Amino acid sequence: METATRQIVAFGGGGFSMESGNPLLDDYVLGLTGAERPRVCFLPSASGDADHYIVRFYRAFSTHRCEPTHISLFRREQGPSDVRRHLLSQDLIYVGGGSVVSLLGVWRAHGIDSILCEAWESGVILCGLSAGSLCWFAEAVSGFHGEPKRVRGLGLLPFSNCVHYERGSGRGEAYHRFLREGMRSGYAAEDGAAFHFRGEELRRVVSSRPQARGYRLDVAGSRVVEMRIATTYLGDREAEPEAPLPEALSAAPAP
Amino acid sequence: MAGGPGLSTATPVRRILALGGHEFSSRPADRAVCELLLRLAAERGGERPRICILPTASGDTSEQIASFYAAFGERSCEPSDVALFRLGRRPVALRDHLLDQDLIYVGGGSMVNLLAVWEAHDIASILSLAWRQGIVLAGQSAGAMCWFEAGITKSSGKPLAAPGLGLLHGSLCVHYNDEPERRAAYLDAVGEGMAGGYGLDDYAGLLWEGDGSPAALTARRGARAYRVDSREGAVAESPLPTRFLPAPAPAALREDIAEFRRIKTMRKRAGWLT
Repeated sequence: METATRQIVAFGGGGFSMESGNPLLDDYVLGLTGAERPRVCFLPSASGDADHYIVRFYRAFSTHRCEPTHISLFRREQGPSDVRRHLLSQDLIYVGGGSVVSLLGVWRAHGIDSILCEAWESGVILCGLSAGSLCWFAEAVSGFHGEPKRVRGLGLLPFSNCVHYERGSGRGEAYHRFLREGMRSGYAAEDGAAFHFRGEELRRVVSSRPQARGYRLDVAGSRVVEMRIATTYLGDREAEPEAPLPEALSAAPAP
Repeated sequence: MAGGPGLSTATPVRRILALGGHEFSSRPADRAVCELLLRLAAERGGERPRICILPTASGDTSEQIASFYAAFGERSCEPSDVALFRLGRRPVALRDHLLDQDLIYVGGGSMVNLLAVWEAHDIASILSLAWRQGIVLAGQSAGAMCWFEAGITKSSGKPLAAPGLGLLHGSLCVHYNDEPERRAAYLDAVGEGMAGGYGLDDYAGLLWEGDGSPAALTARRGARAYRVDSREGAVAESPLPTRFLPAPAPAALREDIAEFRRIKTMRKRAGWLT
């Protein structure tokens, strides 16, 4: 049996939703598909399928360079009738930001969670920012509303995840506390940084901003160890197409 | 507010208003619905009752929120909204805010998504408590079916049965004669064993006040409410007697204009004008 490469690109924050005029991360995920006109489906569920967000997606992913579609789970009568078939026929599924709690609730109600797992297994590249990053992991730090909360994600990636990991955002502090309280090891990304996973293995960290970084967080006893991961700035002309990561960082953290 | 029926020591009356379909427009039938909502809220909250919209079923569209404020913003009440998809920008203490209301109105949209998002945010238990405390629960379309054990929703495209919160026994089908395919799906579902219940046309409503049967209301001539039951293998549909809700004068009508209109009407009646 042919085994497809399972790939996820998890943005801390960035792409057309947050970086108008900076297409580096969006170009990167389109490039990964290897298709001349990749089929890209946008899932804006975390925003409640906000119209303005869908319009911005179509503006950023114009028909010149891809075949863009979207699925609105609030207006199922308008979209493709066979959602599973549509999602499995894509090259890239792009998940927008918003409320990860609402996102997962709506996905479960429509059976999207298992379809996305199937799509991943069959080689469709999954990506997204913010809530659209948190959702792929086993556990996540949601800071969408009020105090940061621990949330269970789809669990395709057996790690924890924290997005918008900027200094002084309050999320970092909460993430460290959750780790000490037993949350599994994982990854945190600043805005502009993105983790590219092949299977469950982190292949590289790329960024749309020269200073944006990704971090790996582990717990040693009662201490949290945070490691900054070498990040490839995609705007750098000398950026290697695929700089391999040191062994220590690409291996899965101990469970 | 003190001494309002909801705040007395006696068990509060549980009230739910389920509407088959309406908008927040300035048309007479829509004004009649708004007037009823205001009256129900005022019976609990006094002169300036608190009314909150949950626009969850629409995905918190700004259109739904704006039309709600357009209808209630200038009236004697304190309108607010809880947009679960927008909490990041506008944090709200969900439980405290909802339990502080006199009336909670749930807008239309996807019933399946409504219940899924409520479950994710643990809203159902708050609404059930609100109901027991005498806070009026109201809504149209998905926002009406959600209170029953089941409804007929087009959340997945075609009309299909979906479970609700179950505060009210039985089932509800909205837009009854306005969407024949929805009514047909409902009659089939009840025939196949789904709990019976009610069919509501747009601008028809059912008001539960305490235990017992609901009162059927209409805000538009010809809009009907039906009792739908399965009896000996056949589904029976019987129209309920309804009370008509007259439309109030447009809210924005200025006192002097209203006076002028009254004089004009009187003159017309007296035959001074043709």
